[in-house]
Amino acid sequence: MAYTVTISNRDNVRYQVDGKRSLLDSLRDRAVDLPYGCKYGGCITCAAKLTVGEVDQRRQVALNNRQINDGYVILCVARPTSDITIEIGVESHDKLYRNPFLDPLKPYELKADIAAPKEA
Amino acid sequence: MECCGPGYSSPADAVKAPQEKLLYTIAIYTGTGIQKPDYLATVDVDPDSSTYSQVIHRLEMPGIGDELHHMGWNACSSCFEDTSMARKYLLLPGVRSNNIHIIDTATDPRAPRLHKVVDGNEIKSKTNLSGPHTVHCLGSEIIISMLGNAKGEAPGGYLYLNKDFEILGRWENSMGDIKFGYDFWYQPRHNVMVSSEWAAPNTFMPGFDLEEVGHLKYGREIHFWDFEKKVPIETMYLGEDGLLPLEVKFHHDPDSTHGFCGAALSSNVIHWWKDNSEKWQWEKIIDVENEPHPEWPIPVPGVMSAILVSMDDKYLYLNNWLHGDMRQYDISDPHNPVLTGQVWMGGLLGKAPEVNGVKVAGGPQMFQLSLDGKRLYVTTSLFSTWDNQFYPEIREQGGIMIMIDCDPVSGGMTINPDFIVDFGQEPNGPSRCHEARYPGGDCTSDIWL
Repeated sequence: MAYTVTISNRDNVRYQVDGKRSLLDSLRDRAVDLPYGCKYGGCITCAAKLTVGEVDQRRQVALNNRQINDGYVILCVARPTSDITIEIGVESHDKLYRNPFLDPLKPYELKADIAAPKEA
Repeated sequence: MECCGPGYSSPADAVKAPQEKLLYTIAIYTGTGIQKPDYLATVDVDPDSSTYSQVIHRLEMPGIGDELHHMGWNACSSCFEDTSMARKYLLLPGVRSNNIHIIDTATDPRAPRLHKVVDGNEIKSKTNLSGPHTVHCLGSEIIISMLGNAKGEAPGGYLYLNKDFEILGRWENSMGDIKFGYDFWYQPRHNVMVSSEWAAPNTFMPGFDLEEVGHLKYGREIHFWDFEKKVPIETMYLGEDGLLPLEVKFHHDPDSTHGFCGAALSSNVIHWWKDNSEKWQWEKIIDVENEPHPEWPIPVPGVMSAILVSMDDKYLYLNNWLHGDMRQYDISDPHNPVLTGQVWMGGLLGKAPEVNGVKVAGGPQMFQLSLDGKRLYVTTSLFSTWDNQFYPEIREQGGIMIMIDCDPVSGGMTINPDFIVDFGQEPNGPSRCHEARYPGGDCTSDIWL
């Protein structure tokens, strides 16, 4: 299945990509300059911000729930499941990093394996 | 004795080595937003040179995204009697990419060149390891602590390379009940290795979630190994005194059983030794108090990410990355350290926002001491994602390297006013420097058999 990826902070450039491949591989093949590191979803270097659409990023282990709620996706393992719009590069990282002493996570904002359920 | 292999016959001999003229430090673009490879910088540290205190060469790695971090030599004083060996290659692991870059520093010490890359994917497929950290040589062979399995899960293990940098497999015969890996050091005359604990790569690489410490995602134990059998035999649970036990150093004196560990988050120095009944003991000998901060709801911990023991075993140096101070302790009596020097550079407490006219982003982080104990070179970046959390301004400002003049006789530290390397002014944009080493060996590499 092919989807359209729009990169909003690169003049809304659009690419058709294969839903079976990671966004990092697809976009790098089209010469999009993207940061990356581990390529297994663990190191956060390639994080981008998803603003429209959906991805499957079940293999990622780098993001906590707050980062996911803020729209971050790990491009080296994420695959699109709809047409999507993303912001890439460190310009998109405004909410990715926080001082952990000044801005603690709530129990439901931790990583999935240790997060408490969010109370209604 | 006219032999010789690399290094020095003894620590006392190393202290008498000629003054270093070149220094190597890694500099990273990973995580900075600049799409360039990380590189090895050669810094001119010869005060008589016209390019003193400048980067005189940059060797880029073949790819981007490695996150170069620590380094190690192919050979050290443990090969002193082996004339077939030479301290020629510096190993530069990429924590994120898993690649191990083998750099030839001997053909032209001012302009090191790439000799070989041990491919990160090959390491994963052959050993199921990733996240390389500390490099030590073992005679003519090399072991590297790897902090995770191929998926970045703890505890990882130890990568074993031969002298031609071919993968032999895993070094250890068992990880026992060890939960995490990080640093290690060994003292062959006592058949012991000590290893410490950071966290799984999947935990520390994305950044520091303080809450994960309470969920036991970060270490609080150190481990004693039977070095010849390559198995852990005793664990010391340090508890709240030893949160994030990172760097471990034995005395350089190969007969000594005394060693030290810096617990980064607790900001304590742990001392261990073997007592008269041949039992390993530990105690906390330095406790850096948390400091109040006008804008923080809780006091700021020091974050002691590194420690170093001078070649004569007289002084221990430590950093407090968030406070911004470097300290020198006289450890002549390792049970009773005495604070003999302290300087400030950067940090969150606002005590030294500028050093030698350069604004400091970050705090004192990695450091390397000259063999004679007189010059301590200090850098400011810890790890890209952690920098981005605590010192976001480092993206624009980059890292710096300064030099501290140390008095190895009476104690004392002073920031040298004539030396500063501003990695904010690098040609490709602000980069961040981390660990440093000298061509002739240094205070964090050599081990004596």
